[in-house]
Amino acid sequence: MEREINDSALSRYKKRMFVLVVILALVSQLDFWEFIRHHPTGALAYLLAVLPALPFIGIMATYGLYVAELRDELVCTVVKTSLLWSIVATLSVTTLWGFLEMLANAPHLQPLLVLPIFGIFLGIATTLVNRRYE
Amino acid sequence: MKNRLRVLRAEREWSQADLADRLEVSRQSVNAIETGKFDPSLPLAFKLARLFDTTIEAIFSDEAEAWLHEKSQQNDKPA
Repeated sequence: MEREINDSALSRYKKRMFVLVVILALVSQLDFWEFIRHHPTGALAYLLAVLPALPFIGIMATYGLYVAELRDELVCTVVKTSLLWSIVATLSVTTLWGFLEMLANAPHLQPLLVLPIFGIFLGIATTLVNRRYE
Repeated sequence: MKNRLRVLRAEREWSQADLADRLEVSRQSVNAIETGKFDPSLPLAFKLARLFDTTIEAIFSDEAEAWLHEKSQQNDKPA
């Protein structure tokens, strides 16, 4: 049944997310510890610096898999529409902030914050789009 | 898009959940289609037509079709 397929897609998504969050926590801890204790430089520093980003990329891929595995048309529409709105909102805010930084000396926005900002917009967009079909 | 889904469902005394199970979609989907907030895909429309043993046109009608039907009824009326 498609409802079961949706539920199993959600279940698989949650399992994958749990594994990735655990990996993220471990890698981040080890990475920061390594930087504090041994102050790596050069290629090793670059390699260690990108390690915590990999689980984040995995989290995005996991969400993509979840969308691909959805079978219920309405749920799929809600998720895809929400994704579009959150992409538009994130790009708008970061573009605005970029000009504020460049022209008005606004504080620098860390690129690392873009993903959490996108997550917040995705949450808001999903709530609003869901409301449309209630 | 207008549809007769609620009527067809009521004729068979099915709840939205019953229909959702038969269509293998969520109850939220059935509700959104019934209220005209969501238009189903062509495969789902065919599935609905088969389930109610009718045609897609007998279930769904767009605004233009409804307008044409109304217009033809007005023309049929004696002056």
